[in-house]
Amino acid sequence: MVRFENVGMRYGAGPEVLRDVTFALDAGSFTFLTGLSGAGKTTLLKLIYVAEPPSRGLITLFGNDMATTRRRDFPAIRRRIGVVFQDFRLLEHLSAFDNVALPLRLAGRNEGNYEHDVEELLSWVGLGDRMHAKPATLSGGEQQRIAIARAVVARPDLLIADEPTGNVDAEIGGRLIRLFAELNRLGTTVLIATHDRALIESTKAREMRLVGGRLVELRTAGRP
Amino acid sequence: MIRGPAQFMPREKGAAPLDVMIGIMAFLAALALGASLLADRASLDWRAGLSDRLTVQILVPSHGDAASELVRETGAALGVLRATPGIAHAQPLSEAEMRGLVEPWLGKGSLVAELPLPNLIDAEVIPGAPVDLAALAARLKDVAPDSQLDDHSRWLARLKGLADTITWTAYAILILIAVATAASVTFATRAGLAAHHEMVSLLHQMGARAGFIARAFEQHFALSTFAASALGATLAALLFLTAGGLEVFGVEAVPFLPPIALKFGEVAWFTAVPVAAALIAWLTARISVLAVVRKIY
Repeated sequence: MVRFENVGMRYGAGPEVLRDVTFALDAGSFTFLTGLSGAGKTTLLKLIYVAEPPSRGLITLFGNDMATTRRRDFPAIRRRIGVVFQDFRLLEHLSAFDNVALPLRLAGRNEGNYEHDVEELLSWVGLGDRMHAKPATLSGGEQQRIAIARAVVARPDLLIADEPTGNVDAEIGGRLIRLFAELNRLGTTVLIATHDRALIESTKAREMRLVGGRLVELRTAGRP
Repeated sequence: MIRGPAQFMPREKGAAPLDVMIGIMAFLAALALGASLLADRASLDWRAGLSDRLTVQILVPSHGDAASELVRETGAALGVLRATPGIAHAQPLSEAEMRGLVEPWLGKGSLVAELPLPNLIDAEVIPGAPVDLAALAARLKDVAPDSQLDDHSRWLARLKGLADTITWTAYAILILIAVATAASVTFATRAGLAAHHEMVSLLHQMGARAGFIARAFEQHFALSTFAASALGATLAALLFLTAGGLEVFGVEAVPFLPPIALKFGEVAWFTAVPVAAALIAWLTARISVLAVVRKIY
């Protein structure tokens, strides 16, 4: 599903943020990505969700060599990836409902056949009574749950989450992880970047750690 | 609930400066369009009114008994005109009609009454009939040495030149306004892209195609431009219709020139202003957005 071979990344003329990163995420796997702040986790995630091109190396996504894939095919690849951004990136002028429905709108579905799915998902993340609220009126934790709902609503083939439990309490955090695990059981490949050791230890999932821009495999177990 | 790409754009509160500017430009464009329509119509009216007419002027003779000689020459000229094939009819202007022609310039005073005025003969040519004007002028000179034949061609040529100048000036103004509208919308679209960079970048990241993002902007700018320019064009139409209404009540805008009133059918052309402005906005917004979005990885 995802394959990196000797991937390096530097911004401009700066030092390499990632060095010779090689790994693969198999279809249906569940993986944690850990590392200290500044280790390159967010940069690695950006390369996977096609936000940046690598400086060197080979990236293969869903069987497509990204170096030779035509740019016009990128949107279709991006739509197969759900992303929970660390800073949520919600559209402030849209309601919680419309923010969550965005991937479905972009996939060309009309509101009649997604309204129920979106409402059900918002209820699942505990925001059934706030679906018409604008992000600015919601707490950080609530915004994070909307961002997660938006990332999973279209049942992506690959889910990438950058610190998805950073702003929620333990109970909501546990609930969100169960949501990710449920999606994983349904076939979605999951990659979560986190500092939360308790979260990692609560599962048997694989853990990859970034140290100084290099990837270290810590645990190779499969699913949570 | 969002239904179309345009609704991804946040709604601006109140009239944006761009809308005000586009409204003013549409108003000016509609004025220029109205001026070109008026010039076209005036030119056609003038030509239709004069193209089949001849005027023979008999100047007051400086020899013999001026008054009786004037009457004789007028009668002789009338005879020639009426005998010429292709002339439908010829009629001398009465003294009252002559006084009426000079009255706007010289007034009604006794000075006018004492002025030695020439005689004028108004002749109408059968439309399409070939009349040899040079030969006719020569025959008139033979019987009335103080006659002058005027087929209005010089006057018509100058009027046509004036009308053409007004029309082409109006077209030039329309083109300038169209270019200014395009430049303004391009600038506003780029500012909008900068202001909504996060939205554009997120939609792009979530797999929106460049065309989808462009549609959000082009629909937004086309709709707001249409609304603003429709208001401007409506104000200009009201101005022309009001001018027409005042002229019905005898208020003359510019003496001797055609009325500045447009007919309803001509005012209908004003609907082209918001349609054209919206098309320009749509096209420039699309080109600008596609250029920017395609630079993002």
